[in-house]
Amino acid sequence: MKGVETFGHYVEKWSESSPAKARRLLKTGWEAQDLKFRFLPEKELNPSDRYLARIMMDAMLYPLKDPEHSAVVSIFTPCEMLQEAGLHPYNVEGFSCYLSASGAERAFLQASEDSGLSETLCSYHKTFIGAAQTGLLPKPKCIIYTNLACDANLLTFRRLAEYYGVPSFAIDVPVKQSEENVAYVAEQLRDMKTFLEKAMGKTIEEDALKERLKRSRRTQELFEQFQSGRADRYIPADLVSPLYSGMTNNLLLGTEQEEKFVEMLLEDLKSAPPSKGKRIYWMHTIPFWSQAVKDALVFNENAQIVGCELSQTVDLTKHSEDPFEEMAMRLVYHCLNGGIARRIEAGIRHARQAGADGVVWFNHWGCKHTLGGSQLAKKKFEEQGIPLLILDGDGCDRSHGGEGQTATRLGAFLEMLGENDHE
Amino acid sequence: MNKTYYVCKYTPVELLAAFGGECEILNEMPEGFERADQIAHPNLCGFGKSVLEAVLAGHVKELILVNCCDTIRSVYDLLEDSGQMDFLYMLDVLHSDGSCSRERVASQLKDLAEAYGAYRGREFDLDLFRKAFQPRERTREPHLAVLGARMGEELFEMTKKAMPLPVVNESCVNNRSVGREEPPAGVDFDALMEWYAGEILGQLPCMRMLDNTGRKQLYQDPSLKGIIYHTVKFCDFYSFEYSEIKERADVPLLKIESDYTVQSSGQLLTRLEAFAESLSMDSDGRKEPTMGKGYYAGIDSGSTSTDVVILNKDRVIVAGVIMPTGAGAALGAERALEEALKEVGLAREDIDTVVTTGYGRTAISVGDKSITEITCHARGAHFLDPEVRTVVDIGGQDSKVIRLNEDGTVKNFVMNDKCAAGTGRFLEMMARTMEMSLDEMSKIGLSYKEDITISSMCTVFAESEVVSLIAQNKAPDDIVHGLNKAVAAKTASLVKRVGGEEKYMMTGGVAQNQGLVKTLEERLGTKLVISDKSQLCGALGAALFAADMAEE
Repeated sequence: MKGVETFGHYVEKWSESSPAKARRLLKTGWEAQDLKFRFLPEKELNPSDRYLARIMMDAMLYPLKDPEHSAVVSIFTPCEMLQEAGLHPYNVEGFSCYLSASGAERAFLQASEDSGLSETLCSYHKTFIGAAQTGLLPKPKCIIYTNLACDANLLTFRRLAEYYGVPSFAIDVPVKQSEENVAYVAEQLRDMKTFLEKAMGKTIEEDALKERLKRSRRTQELFEQFQSGRADRYIPADLVSPLYSGMTNNLLLGTEQEEKFVEMLLEDLKSAPPSKGKRIYWMHTIPFWSQAVKDALVFNENAQIVGCELSQTVDLTKHSEDPFEEMAMRLVYHCLNGGIARRIEAGIRHARQAGADGVVWFNHWGCKHTLGGSQLAKKKFEEQGIPLLILDGDGCDRSHGGEGQTATRLGAFLEMLGENDHE
Repeated sequence: MNKTYYVCKYTPVELLAAFGGECEILNEMPEGFERADQIAHPNLCGFGKSVLEAVLAGHVKELILVNCCDTIRSVYDLLEDSGQMDFLYMLDVLHSDGSCSRERVASQLKDLAEAYGAYRGREFDLDLFRKAFQPRERTREPHLAVLGARMGEELFEMTKKAMPLPVVNESCVNNRSVGREEPPAGVDFDALMEWYAGEILGQLPCMRMLDNTGRKQLYQDPSLKGIIYHTVKFCDFYSFEYSEIKERADVPLLKIESDYTVQSSGQLLTRLEAFAESLSMDSDGRKEPTMGKGYYAGIDSGSTSTDVVILNKDRVIVAGVIMPTGAGAALGAERALEEALKEVGLAREDIDTVVTTGYGRTAISVGDKSITEITCHARGAHFLDPEVRTVVDIGGQDSKVIRLNEDGTVKNFVMNDKCAAGTGRFLEMMARTMEMSLDEMSKIGLSYKEDITISSMCTVFAESEVVSLIAQNKAPDDIVHGLNKAVAAKTASLVKRVGGEEKYMMTGGVAQNQGLVKTLEERLGTKLVISDKSQLCGALGAALFAADMAEE
């Protein structure tokens, strides 16, 4: 941990005076981490999750190595067309998480606030904007984003496009679920194809795109199988793996790597022992940095996370053979789109599917939709017989912590679920 | 039938009027959020909570919302679940005004017409629809504008009263511009709604729209003489525009933030008045100066201490006292003034004019005039060192950074939020936690060994962090240095926001805290001028204004 702190401290420090040097250090640090994942993986994790850590690290390194072939994206941007165009996702939420994991988020948060942005803005957005504006993060080829699930995207990505001076494309996703709205989004996605072709000087073949979409669907169906299959099994879990899968299931959906990861999950399931301890389904992002949450839930046979909302956002009952309509359906019928009731219903369904004993609704500071719906969620989950803990915190910014409170709330919730009953 | 309330300028008000609806903007500032906090999270934006509060208090039965932002979407979810509304509707207005968006919005307008018509039991009345289109006059006279996030009615009234020029509310829903064109004649309802959708989407864009370059006209109006930029706590949209405008606007700009309650007005009034003072120094006092002995007094009534400075006719300081404010500002001021008079052997009648400043300035009856501490600190600092261009003042409950013009008038300023983080109160609370006096604390952080970072800026969380550091047996020097760093970071952020320039002066009681001064100097990369009269700076400025009054 000391090493990470020192490394992050220098990234922060140099980013003020010599951003290029800070970027080189960041890349070297992350490459070292990548090597560790390959040769000294976390022994307690299953092979699938070890593989996941590597593909996620690779996804973070690409934009630093080759920004010309990277597009800044929001987490729910459909990425299959990017893959066909030869672009890597350069993801705002992911980068902020990794900067925070490297202990380097504070200076960038501060830089954003210094420029006049509000303290209450989501820390993922603030960290990335700060890191971009201090020159740490390289200029991408282009920017693609959607307002889906997060209205701050409208502001953050527009600002990044202005700052970097690169072309940007926004996918406007209406709130209501209807065929007309699918058609409206599909039309935009066709325009997005033209936008990408122009940016990359390359034609996106529709047949290849169709094949990719088929892979995406296969991957999601297999992941659903895994979530159902794990209901009576024990899978060792840390805090980052469920979060990584929340990222790769969106950003890398359609790639061979993601499909391989999901196949490995099912393979690992075959040898998984019967379920042990209390099982927690996690709504929204996970504060992986929090010692209090680590103490409660990492590699703990008494209590562990059995799924994260962010990796199960698609309504698989909707399907189209047309690739643009297929992607548009994913967005319009997305579990986080529309009224909070849709998100809550999906959460209840997924918590039951994974055999969860309780649910943590993580009120990431700055996420107004999550905060706004939290009390309603508590009521609805509990009406369905699923205990729910509202946990206030921050997925990225340590200063919004309150570790003592987190430990007490989470500890009491696990005690309430009867964490130690079986001992 | 009740009034139909709405919150957003993209609401089709003319369509509702066509069904006989009486529409009004919902803009109440409640006393507090007692009811809203029972069903929503406290960190929702204050306006969203004020809508919940108005409904839960039974003031609103009909409400049309727009999917403006994630907070308003949540408000809709909560109200829908509460079952307390007669008519609740949310329009899904898209984020662009292209032809596809217009088509989608037109279809939604028709859905709303059907639902609202059924609710009111009325048919669409074309005459009423046409009559509802009223063009809005824009002023060409010199004026100030409120821009940014919506401002509550009470705060806007307070703003108007405080400013020396007429103030136009151009924030959020108030800059609605539908009505410039009249509806086309001889077209059917479908065609009319398509035209209307275009009018609604084609307004001056709000921050939620994908293309909002048109907003520049808001601050490029030649008759605009100043901007009061308002944001609402926990609403992030407008901080992006503020961040841009503060670099680009060439008229004076004041940023204020409210939480949408009437209580937050005290601290905001100081800022508004200071801004008004910086626009035009109002020179007429409340009292005709009398021919006296040529002594002038300034009283700075702060939350912790009350300071008094007496100047003679040559503007030389003849007395300066610092006393605890105690229970009441008025009594504290009387006592401090008596003490100062005693110090120099004068009687109350010997003082020609008295100017009061500070938090309690308006509660004091002994003064002839009151001026905000911002203007007074600038004046005082300029008197002590005319080369100073930036004043950092960390007070008991406010921190402020003031930019000065060459003549000592205020160029610009920023203040901390309502929260105590980064203020003198923060240090006071931490000193109590560590069981030491402020005096001890001011020296102890100088010789630290371990570079500790206190990550929580919330005073309550920081306190628990300090407790756990004490439990880990960390050295007091190291902990205090960590606290100093936290306050310095917060202060440096204010300095950056206001565009601080050399030379810097630090005023207020906290300027005596050597550890903090050193840490702040490191953080800013410069030296801070600290006068031996730093704590008297506000009172000194007030006394100088008192002298001006007498000489006019």
